Amino acid sequence: MTATIGDAEAAVPTAWGTARLLAGTRAGRLDLARHRDVHDVPRRSERGSLADALDAVGLLGRGGAAFPVATKLLGTRAGSGTYVVVNGSEGEPASHKDRALMRLAPHLVLDGALAVARSLRTRKVDLVVQDRAAHASLAAAVRERRDARGVRLVHHDHGFVGGEVRAVTRALSGGPALPPGRRVLPTVHGVDGRPTFASNVETFAQIALLLSLGVDEYAGVGAADEPGTTLLTLLGDVPHPGVVEVPTGLPLSALVGERPGPVLVGGYHGTWLADPGELTVSRPTLRSAGAPLNAGVLARLPHDTCALGEVATVAHWLADQSVGQCGPCFFGLPALAITLDQLAVGRVATEAARQRARLLVGRGACAHPDGAAAFVASALTVLDREIAVHRRHGHCGRPLLGVLPTGGGPVTR
Amino acid sequence: MRLEIDWTRCDGHGLCARLLPELISLDEHGFPVFTDRRVDQQLARHARRAVAVCPRLALRLEQTSPSHPVR
Repeated sequence: MTATIGDAEAAVPTAWGTARLLAGTRAGRLDLARHRDVHDVPRRSERGSLADALDAVGLLGRGGAAFPVATKLLGTRAGSGTYVVVNGSEGEPASHKDRALMRLAPHLVLDGALAVARSLRTRKVDLVVQDRAAHASLAAAVRERRDARGVRLVHHDHGFVGGEVRAVTRALSGGPALPPGRRVLPTVHGVDGRPTFASNVETFAQIALLLSLGVDEYAGVGAADEPGTTLLTLLGDVPHPGVVEVPTGLPLSALVGERPGPVLVGGYHGTWLADPGELTVSRPTLRSAGAPLNAGVLARLPHDTCALGEVATVAHWLADQSVGQCGPCFFGLPALAITLDQLAVGRVATEAARQRARLLVGRGACAHPDGAAAFVASALTVLDREIAVHRRHGHCGRPLLGVLPTGGGPVTR
Repeated sequence: MRLEIDWTRCDGHGLCARLLPELISLDEHGFPVFTDRRVDQQLARHARRAVAVCPRLALRLEQTSPSHPVR
């Protein structure tokens, strides 16, 4: 069976085992009353004790960089001028977990954001959302509660790179939604130049869970190196496509199926592995295996699509996402995508694509060129047999099904 | 010292590669490729000149300290 992102979106987000983030959502969105039936009010927590709890469970940011949340909280100066930014821009078309969470459990996200704001002694909370339905869900949630008056809900439609956290804080400061050219830390110089605690929506929902469950119960499920649950988007030829909440530490093969063959871990800035092997799914484990989980996308290609064509399509999408600030990305990504097209018709050798991918590493203001390079370089390794067939025949005989979604928008080819 | 670049400023004029070919070459689009970001005493003068002539002020030299390890 071939699943597309349409299926992933249509499938009801499901929890395997312990439902926490998705608790009570089987019947749909939780309004405030139903939310309070399911979740306790988060315990009030000072910054120090919240950081201790975050450290005890080793919570890592759920947007992609997997930065330790306790460190980030302690690195943000408290005070009424400090901002809390909830990043729900989710600009990667393969990922649906954030919009699923915001659509179904908006109050959990707000609980977490408000708890962090309280711990930093500020009322300034900015919620940044691209998806229309998620925006509507959060807007209704903000109206439903009295403690959310300081929350500013911002529609942010600035693509993949524009959703990068520093681009988001710049846009919130009235500037362009572009990553800055110099290294700046949002915790020090964020919205309006103020200290800013910014993280992904799921991070805030996890913080809310931690504060209502307490450390021991929170860490009662999941892997030792990253306890609790995580949201994932499963995509393509997998047993259950769609958004899932799973305890960390499950075997990768349980999520993407046991059959041998390539697995994409971490979405379009992610890494292709030759097969699921014995890996388990937690951020620290996957990172040390050289395949960071990023925003939690796991994908497999079905046998009946042209795998190299799928990779090339995503490479063109990645090229289109360049915001044109940095030459090596703006020129290098399209050149890489075109080289993959040439590889698919057997006109160049793999090494030509490899070289172009290598040239991207470390040559941009943000991680976009590096992520794109990782995606393509690892694909070239795991698809060596397919590439050999393309080299010999100029094609593989299989149609390009478009299993890896690129947002439906026009992709320059 | 270490060479740093603001990629959002660089327009690929390429003067840096002319003045500091020991550390900087250019890709096919004319943008700098660093063979090594570290600048030793021997090349410091050339590196400073390369920084000084960058028309976009994209290139700079930063002091490296033990707390800021060189990657």
